[in-house]
Amino acid sequence: MDVALSRNGRRIMRVFFAIVIVFLYAPIAVLLVFSFNRSPVPVFPLTGFTLRWYRDFLTNTEIRGALETSAIVAALASVGSVALGVLAAIALTRHRFRGQLGVTALLLSPLVIPLVVLGISLLLLFHELGIQPSILAVTIGEIVIVLPYTILVIMPRLQQIDASLAEAAQDLGAGPLTTFRRVTLPLILPAVVSAYLIAFTTSFDEYAVASFLVGSRQTFPVYLYSALRFPSRLPQVIAVAVVVLLVTLVVIVAIELWRRRAEARLEAA
Amino acid sequence: LGAGESRLTLEVATPEPAAPAPRRRRLNLATPALLGLPVSWLAVFFLAPVAIVAAYSVDVLVLFPGPHGFTFAAWRSLFSGSTPYLHLFAKSIEMSLTVSAVVVVVAYPLAYFLALSGTKRKYILLLVLIAPFLTSYLLRVLAWKVILGDQGVVNTFLFWTGLRSPEHPLSFLLYSRFAVMLVLGYVWLPFVALPIFVTLDTLDRGLLEAASDLYASRLQAFVRVTLPLSAPGVVAAFLFVFIPTVGEFVTPSLVGGTGGYMYGNQIVDLFGAGFPDWETGSVLALFLLAVIAILTVVFVRFLRAGEARVA
Repeated sequence: MDVALSRNGRRIMRVFFAIVIVFLYAPIAVLLVFSFNRSPVPVFPLTGFTLRWYRDFLTNTEIRGALETSAIVAALASVGSVALGVLAAIALTRHRFRGQLGVTALLLSPLVIPLVVLGISLLLLFHELGIQPSILAVTIGEIVIVLPYTILVIMPRLQQIDASLAEAAQDLGAGPLTTFRRVTLPLILPAVVSAYLIAFTTSFDEYAVASFLVGSRQTFPVYLYSALRFPSRLPQVIAVAVVVLLVTLVVIVAIELWRRRAEARLEAA
Repeated sequence: LGAGESRLTLEVATPEPAAPAPRRRRLNLATPALLGLPVSWLAVFFLAPVAIVAAYSVDVLVLFPGPHGFTFAAWRSLFSGSTPYLHLFAKSIEMSLTVSAVVVVVAYPLAYFLALSGTKRKYILLLVLIAPFLTSYLLRVLAWKVILGDQGVVNTFLFWTGLRSPEHPLSFLLYSRFAVMLVLGYVWLPFVALPIFVTLDTLDRGLLEAASDLYASRLQAFVRVTLPLSAPGVVAAFLFVFIPTVGEFVTPSLVGGTGGYMYGNQIVDLFGAGFPDWETGSVLALFLLAVIAILTVVFVRFLRAGEARVA
């Protein structure tokens, strides 16, 4: 006898699970369907198939500019946060020091800060410093948001690998940087790549904090938000939305599967 | 599993004790060298900004030049009840509590099914469940705008099938408190299953077998064993929704209208272009931050106490 679920219970739960999955994916499917719909307003009944909205957004310089801006922000923020995250994760797992609890709490605290509070705080900071809203301001804010994620993705991996490997390298005369480059980094690489992509997709997509800090160059989410107020732009926005959404979905799933396999291979070796 | 999984380790997993420093340390990178950059980054771009907000909240810093000095006036007016802000805060708390509770109740059986039904594909199914959370937040809100509007998918479908006449669309669907709560629930549901899944997945099945050997029914085993042991995951899940939604302003500004206006929107508006009042806005922001900080500390204590009991 199964101790957790009766046969009927299992059946009911399977159906419930399926219903929830449908509920989660149906709105995304609705966007997908309307992105190919000929009518410029997203209403039933459907009026026919078209690729016009996809063509439109490919030629829309505003959208392309916003995507580019977000890509720049995401590229800078992910490199920055992963670099800081690797440093912090090594310190927190390999070293023991006074005030460790407080430092850990500080490093992870952006996870729970309301984004509206972080947004206005940075707005006021830059206002006091006389720094204009800009891509740089947004990037700084995004690094604060994603830094805890990178730490939390890299730390468990560091805990898994044997600290004595790095010690052995140092005993054999390798300096700290060589040890990191030749021993630690290859072992934690899957987690670092994973952290990088999480940081990239999160900062690419982040609206709340960015909305306080963008200057004249809008990021993609900020553009998207403003475009939602103009019904005439809706079909194009839906088309670009679908593309971005599918790309992130594929990238995230692929990376997660790759990370599992890569870590399993490193275990086996 | 990306952001979800990582966020989870913060609250649910025990912070692992750091490995003891190697004794025969030669050229080891010193702790300060490693921590210097990340800690100062957060000091400059996180702690200092909050301190500036605090300075604004007591009028030490001001937006418009003029006579000013240290005063708690804005704080007093928040707590005196002469302003509508506390009322709005209560409304936001109520909305977030409802959303969190509903979402946890829906997510629990999903997590239970994945963790305990013995399905071989549980990690794949978990990924399928969580994947929507990892896609664009705004786009998922946009989808609901398309679905719920007066000319949206639901209403035009009803007109088309003749179930509803075009003169009388279901207008409560969009720009309402209902819409905000529905969308927030939709957005956070996939993520919430994760902490519950982790506690159930690490649960020792032997305990359930023991309960069954002692003639406990499945229901008794669930109520007396599984549910108490998964409590930390449930509380974590609840807070993972509650904390970000209570200060939410993006979803209510897109689908909330006036009925769904939340505390977060009020903060944004006080810093907006219309009639900026940075002093009051700073007070509201700090108040929100304080409430959430207290909740987080209480929760971490709760987890620690639970671990101490188990140990």
